[in-house]
Amino acid sequence: MVQPVLEWQAGTVTAIRTETWQTKSFTLALPKWMAHRPGQHYDIRLTAPDGYQTERSYSVASAPERVGVIELTVERIADGEVSPYLHDVLVTGDQLEVRGPIGGYFVWELALGGPLLLIGGGSGVVPLMAMLRHRGAQHAAVPTRILYSSRTPEDVIYRDELDALASADRAFEAFFTFTRQAPVGWTGYRRRIDATMLGEVIKPFGTRVRVYVCGPTLLVEAVANALVQMELPTEQIRTERFGPTGA
Amino acid sequence: MDNDQADMNTALMVDGNAVAGQLQQIFGRDMTTAMAKCAGCGRDAEMGALMAFTHAPGVVLRCPACQTAIARIVETPSAIYLEARGAAFLRMQR
Repeated sequence: MVQPVLEWQAGTVTAIRTETWQTKSFTLALPKWMAHRPGQHYDIRLTAPDGYQTERSYSVASAPERVGVIELTVERIADGEVSPYLHDVLVTGDQLEVRGPIGGYFVWELALGGPLLLIGGGSGVVPLMAMLRHRGAQHAAVPTRILYSSRTPEDVIYRDELDALASADRAFEAFFTFTRQAPVGWTGYRRRIDATMLGEVIKPFGTRVRVYVCGPTLLVEAVANALVQMELPTEQIRTERFGPTGA
Repeated sequence: MDNDQADMNTALMVDGNAVAGQLQQIFGRDMTTAMAKCAGCGRDAEMGALMAFTHAPGVVLRCPACQTAIARIVETPSAIYLEARGAAFLRMQR
């Protein structure tokens, strides 16, 4: 498969939206935009005046149907090198060095079909949202469920969009779980994702389900192990671990 | 102590997806769907599914089954070093 050379390019920030108390979405217009596959990421590179450079990867949150721009949702890591700059310094009109789209392993597009189970922890929901937005833009009826783990209600990214999608689309259901503090009167899950919870959410889909798991490493490890114990074929499971942070 | 160290290593671990950009820069193509056969245990794994340790001057990619170090990547200002003794082979789809 011939692929274009991965080049750094200067994107222009056209919008910044606050999603939660520690996540923001940045819309970047790219001079060399190309359609990404939902689940892919971009690398961002910052260069200090003394020439020191540092890079981080951020998942694309937008659907490839949004032509010319990408939206990256970024969690602010207090002692991070890149995310505090993006959150605290970057303003609309600024330029940012990026390269992408990157990765072909953790992707879902309509041709892959379903049923589809998306499992996210914390900001691990971001690439899953790109898949959902792509599914929506294609008006696809692929049976889909998302199981999304957050610490508290204030940490849930895209809550309104997920709720709106769940009420408008009969083939989509959203399940939330809260690991530290649930909303008042909450009757849903209030614990870390475990085998029982997975069994309940996966049940109507049987063993032909495609599963995408993204989140902090320990969450992804636990979920992947539980899925293998359930004898789900490993080739139907795609995982992306982003390290120690998040829910 | 050893358990704490193991927990810390696991928590800091990411996967091959995290170094997809670096791999693509080296190979000129996406490598996350390329298959790596582990020279230690013979397991085939897509590179996106390898365990990746990136909190060091270089990157270490390990087999998810037996933890053999499949590849190490170190970049210096003048060169890129890629050591892949732990891979019996890589398979890249045309």
